[in-house]
Amino acid sequence: MSNSRRLVAIISVVAVMLTQVSAFADASPYQSYTYDYRRNVVLTPAPYLPGTIVNGASLGIAPLSQPRDIAASDDGRLFIADTGNNRVVVTNATMTRAETIITEFDNNGVTDRFSAPAGLALSDSGELYVADSKNRRIVVLDPDLRGVVKIFENPSHDALPDDFVFTPLRVAVDYADRVYVVAQNMFQGIMVFEPDGAFTGFFGTINVTVSLWQRFWRAIASKQERANTRLFVPTEFTGLDVDPYGFVYASNMDPLGVKAVRRLNPKGEDVAIAGVSNNLGGDIAGVESGSYSGVSRIVDVAYQGRGIYSLLDSQRGRIFTYDREGDLLYVFGGLGGVAGTFRSPAAIEYAKAADGSQRLLALDYVRGDITVFEPTAYGALINEAVGLRFDGDETQAVDKWRDVLRLNENLELANVGIGKAYLTAGDNKTAMRYLKLGMNRQYYSIAFKRYRNEILKDNLGWILTAAVSLAMIIAVIRAIKRRKSGGADETGLMSDA
Amino acid sequence: MLNAAKRGGTFPKEGVKKGVKKGAASVVGAVRERLSASFGAEKLRAMLRVASHPIDGFYEIRYRGKGSVPLAAVMAALFSACYTGNRIFASFVVNDVDPRSIDGLMEMSAIFVLLALFAAGNWSVTCLLDGEGRFRDIVTATGYALLPMIVTTVLAALVSQFIASGEEVFYTLIIALGVAWTAMLLLTGVMTVHNYTLLKTLATLILTVLAMFALVFFALLLADMIRQVYVFFYSVYVELAFRA
Repeated sequence: MSNSRRLVAIISVVAVMLTQVSAFADASPYQSYTYDYRRNVVLTPAPYLPGTIVNGASLGIAPLSQPRDIAASDDGRLFIADTGNNRVVVTNATMTRAETIITEFDNNGVTDRFSAPAGLALSDSGELYVADSKNRRIVVLDPDLRGVVKIFENPSHDALPDDFVFTPLRVAVDYADRVYVVAQNMFQGIMVFEPDGAFTGFFGTINVTVSLWQRFWRAIASKQERANTRLFVPTEFTGLDVDPYGFVYASNMDPLGVKAVRRLNPKGEDVAIAGVSNNLGGDIAGVESGSYSGVSRIVDVAYQGRGIYSLLDSQRGRIFTYDREGDLLYVFGGLGGVAGTFRSPAAIEYAKAADGSQRLLALDYVRGDITVFEPTAYGALINEAVGLRFDGDETQAVDKWRDVLRLNENLELANVGIGKAYLTAGDNKTAMRYLKLGMNRQYYSIAFKRYRNEILKDNLGWILTAAVSLAMIIAVIRAIKRRKSGGADETGLMSDA
Repeated sequence: MLNAAKRGGTFPKEGVKKGVKKGAASVVGAVRERLSASFGAEKLRAMLRVASHPIDGFYEIRYRGKGSVPLAAVMAALFSACYTGNRIFASFVVNDVDPRSIDGLMEMSAIFVLLALFAAGNWSVTCLLDGEGRFRDIVTATGYALLPMIVTTVLAALVSQFIASGEEVFYTLIIALGVAWTAMLLLTGVMTVHNYTLLKTLATLILTVLAMFALVFFALLLADMIRQVYVFFYSVYVELAFRA
């Protein structure tokens, strides 16, 4: 009896301690945070919380086996590349039941099958692009998902080696039906196919960076030693997404942890902007130690809309969201065993919910399930505020930023957002205060310059009057002194002589 | 040096004589005497003269007893305060220091250790190389040489309140001027108190840096050895305690 009472007491004490530990009282299985200007971790309210979990059982089909990619259509259907089962699963609009299971399809009159379909993409017209990895081709299915529209295979090009084996892993398609493919062991970059199936070349090649120190060691190494060292090959791309303007977002694992995503314009040039931290690589390196340490391994990228995109880190199971200006908005997610955490995250995708909010779908390939993350009030406010700024509507964004500040007083981004609006409105002094809180030196300086000019303009009249009268008084005093001492000087001179 | 003490002491002598009768007054008189010996108008004037006329100034410190070690220590403390103050109060535009990372006492002790190390290193080198300066002259020269940097760190912090980005050069220029001036004073100081040529001064300064490293090395070595001796005796004690 007393034992059970003691147990109750212990449990209640632990419960009280736990509620005090979590600063933000939400049922989040992970810590959400962002980095401040000084690269400190700043805990934030959860921007996204896990909702339903979609897996084979919930869809009423056999379990998913090592699924590698997902795609979401505008009408709410979810496409799952069930790689291990050689099929593509399509859910209904509410993601509760499997609507279609594509195991075979009509390839110009012949029944055909997938072999380890690894990547999925949907075109604007509703055609499904499947990276059929072991069949070494990209299959394009019609919107009814029955027949083949076209097939991209056997790419030939001068730049490709003769023994090249085409193993597509990720696929993306833009508004003009140009196809971008990440293939295995393809270090030259993303492969680009024209809508007619012609392979036109590589795109967004990652250049190898060799540090001066490495160069030094190579220079003094013997031929034998040089042959034994690791080759400097560029890292491969890991994930793809395309925004409505035709810019390709491509993620890669950066060994330095500073540049894990590229935003490629149609010419294949990287136009991604890194924010104040100058870091687009997930976690800022060196923040942890032990087996959990190391740079983030970014395995996928998803475009949310209005310039916002997210990166998925398989090292620590975190999702990093950036805006167009490269500022880190929020980080959430983690590895673990409870709902909402991952064992081995493989892909992410944004899907617009019926209420217009942007849900994030994250695929775990070992568990074979998809976690649906719903935006919280905090996350939705940030998305909306950033989106309004993207649209150029700064004044409306301010109200959103104010609400964000109410939820998280320490968010530099919100302070900068409000400061910029005050700057536009001409209230330079208030702008200075907010921009300093937001640690934005550039805009603070602009506000300061305007404020300084204001003060000078208001006070220049009396400052100049005072200066002129002071100069006159000094001149008069000097003149009097000179007249008084002038005679003395002359007598002095005379007496010297 | 004896001269200097006497001359510094002559000024409040009447006070001391009167104070002999009354106990409290005598203490006050003694303190006043000591203070004026270290920080009297003459000492302050000599310090200011060093900044404007370094060669004459340092000569008077070395050969006419116008230097004051306590005043040099105060200058070092003042410098550390101004340095920390600059890090705290310089405007946001030029200041990238996290205010949470500033520890004034830590910075002060670091500056004192560094200056003491320099003085000790310089003394140990110049002793062997016909330097005429005594340890107190080196300490005084080092402390007095900080005057320009004390002024410029404060001035720069003030100026920084009125500049925007793109105008940081004014701030940097003031700081750089202070550093250059102090470096020049330090060079002249070492040169004058030891009666060296410029070339020899530069050579001894390089040797001084090496000596500073050597001092740090020996200090660490000593600390480690003391620790080992302590551990030895402690383990003997533990052994005895357990056997008894």
